[in-house]
Amino acid sequence: MKLGKMAWRNLWRSKRRTVITGLSIAFGVFLSVTFTGTGDYMYTNIIDTSATMGFGHVTVEPAGYHQTPTLDKRLRDSRQIRENVLKMPEVTDAMVRIMGQAMFASATKTIGGSFLAIDPAQESAEYNLLIGSLVEGSLFPGTDGRGAVVGSIMAEKLNLGIGKKLVYTTTDVYGEIVSELARVSGIFKTGVDEVDGGMILLPIDRVRATLHYDAEDATLISVLIRDQRDAGGVSDQISGAIGNPDREVLTWRKTQAEVAGLVTLDRNANYLSQVLVGLLIAAGILNTLLMSVLQRSREFGVMMAVGMPPGTLFKLILLESCWLAVLGIFLGSLITAPWFAYLANVGIDFSGIIGEDYSASGVLVDPLIRIRLFKESLIAIVSGVFALTLLSGIYPAYRAVRTPPVESLKTI
Amino acid sequence: MKLLPLAIRNVSRTCQRTIVTTAAMGFAGFIMIFYASLMEGLLQASERNAVGMNLGDIQIHAEGYRYDPDLYKRIENAGALVRRLEQEGFHATQRVYGFGLAAAGSASAGVQLRGIDLDHEATVTQIHRHVMEGAWLDETDPRGVVIGRKLARTLGVEPGHEVVIVGQASDGSMANDLYTVRGILKSVGEEIDRAGFFMVVSSFRELMVVPEGAHEIAIMRANRASDLGLATRAIAELAPDLETMNWRQLRPVIARVLDTADASLLFMLLITYVAVAMVVLNAMLMSVFERIHELGVMRAVGVTPWQLMKLVYAETLVQVVTAAAIALATGWPVSLYFETKGIDLSTIASGASFGGVAIDPIWYTHVTVQSVLFPIAVLFLVAAVAVIYPAVKAAVIQPVKAIYHR
Repeated sequence: MKLGKMAWRNLWRSKRRTVITGLSIAFGVFLSVTFTGTGDYMYTNIIDTSATMGFGHVTVEPAGYHQTPTLDKRLRDSRQIRENVLKMPEVTDAMVRIMGQAMFASATKTIGGSFLAIDPAQESAEYNLLIGSLVEGSLFPGTDGRGAVVGSIMAEKLNLGIGKKLVYTTTDVYGEIVSELARVSGIFKTGVDEVDGGMILLPIDRVRATLHYDAEDATLISVLIRDQRDAGGVSDQISGAIGNPDREVLTWRKTQAEVAGLVTLDRNANYLSQVLVGLLIAAGILNTLLMSVLQRSREFGVMMAVGMPPGTLFKLILLESCWLAVLGIFLGSLITAPWFAYLANVGIDFSGIIGEDYSASGVLVDPLIRIRLFKESLIAIVSGVFALTLLSGIYPAYRAVRTPPVESLKTI
Repeated sequence: MKLLPLAIRNVSRTCQRTIVTTAAMGFAGFIMIFYASLMEGLLQASERNAVGMNLGDIQIHAEGYRYDPDLYKRIENAGALVRRLEQEGFHATQRVYGFGLAAAGSASAGVQLRGIDLDHEATVTQIHRHVMEGAWLDETDPRGVVIGRKLARTLGVEPGHEVVIVGQASDGSMANDLYTVRGILKSVGEEIDRAGFFMVVSSFRELMVVPEGAHEIAIMRANRASDLGLATRAIAELAPDLETMNWRQLRPVIARVLDTADASLLFMLLITYVAVAMVVLNAMLMSVFERIHELGVMRAVGVTPWQLMKLVYAETLVQVVTAAAIALATGWPVSLYFETKGIDLSTIASGASFGGVAIDPIWYTHVTVQSVLFPIAVLFLVAAVAVIYPAVKAAVIQPVKAIYHR
């Protein structure tokens, strides 16, 4: 017996009901794709932006630096590590950096903040948000000059302009307080107040000299990778390659824990609301299948009386629900495709609601929301639809099988 | 025609379908009541973290201080102004700010020194209750300081550890002193978490050589329900030549997010209820089509189309009322329970923030009349819209055709 064909025909015996149920599944697919897709896009965006703010997707640090980031901890052979890391295919770039806390003073004022000492030859606007956000002046050229690139709010607070002097004070490798002079060569504006008001770029060799570091010492190597989802794998690969108890290899989930917390929180809330809508849709499917089964009890009675085994009947009802899922996914793709294309190419601009300067966990959120769907998200949605539809088919199928043939034949 | 008894009987004729439909609606209502209460609680927590921990409702600064926080841009008659504000029925406190480098062991960090007037501060903000480890400041311990949680991590200190402060005092001398960490704050917001260094106001004045004046006066209205704009204007008149701003002006991002919260709740409600609407639509449509024959007979014996429409609506109403009762009976107590017993998300979300304000890692619900009744009201509305089609379908049947319908 062609069970699949039979199930398909059964479904179309009450067209209106099937179409409405199919549409409700399609609506679920639409919502799921929209929510998951904008999430996939937004989280990747936030993670990638956050990665360009200092630590990268994966960070190689001296052991213990993550717990207490003090300048007496350092990586001794940063160049060698960087070269090894750059050989890995997933890695797009790696930068040797020194990051630390300091006090910055101009002629009249003093404020606190953190510095990021860099080698301009290794850096690029794409992988360093601060360089990418330069609004005035330029990055200092060498590694041992006296240049400095400061944030716009810090420049305002300290009354700094291009060419003005500032003094930074910090603790060196021995814990002694040291000061050094720098001259502003550029000003950046990222839009995040904490960054614009508390971060500064300095040339790495000058900072090494100030901190009494050796020529290849650094506090971190920021590694940027092609796809943020590979961070865990790349991190394992790096620690395998350069494994050493003096070093730690950490992913953005550790180094940028606030961002990770926010993403996890938002993603879970997102899933939860999808599961909720899914359950409601499942109730609709259950209703439809149950009705169609109860209406056909006489028919099932006849079928069982002429020799259809209960198991086959059970399978028939489940196949019907399967077809419903297929129909729902098909309709869902039809209504979602134009919407998805619109979101992917144009996006929705939320700047009217959240503004241009909305930051979450210290990362600027782009108010233009677009969509991208990871393969695993797509698989999750499709299997979710099938799982819910099949689950809601079980009870109706059970009801269909349970009625003894003779009893059902008596009903009209 | 006795509409209601007829509707109840009709609904109970297809018991299973009614149960599934009602349960779906009731479940959605329950979740939405809980969701609305949780949102309300989160909004309150965000506003509390933004306003109640640091900002206060309204702040006064010397002209230009906010853009250029200079040790010398002070409100000179701050003490008198605070007293004046208190006479007018506001809670007010003065604060003095400065910058310095904090060093502990081999770690150092730039910090914002915050001199706090303990007695007055407690009338304005709740920060003294927001200590994660150790204890809040105490007048009897002038060298005890309280610091932000990220700063504590940067410096690698715990309560009891010593911290050296180096800075420039207002007379140009070197400000340098040793303090002991008394406490570490829970997450408040980026600024305080990263650089907040709280000290007793007298210690600050001694360290930075600022014998009088203040950089900021934070004010809380005695009645939080009163109009914020009016209060801001009233205070601005009391503080001429100074800059008076309320928290909405100081933190526009947070104000915007809180303002749009109602819209996002409605959005969530509609999405969930569209799914519910489909369930209702399908169920009622089935029930109408099953009974075409019966409805035809009713028309033939003199029931008007209008009455048939009312009948379909009454049948829906019976189910929605039951669902609403279920939603209320479950959603309300569950939401009330989580009002006192928070949902602890600190394992995944500690330190997360939006717009510079910390997201509380423990989520409490807050039950309001609106958070309970709004989801119910929208449920009724959505069901009413969903049955338009089945009801019209029932009303427009042709009696003769319908009677022969099988």
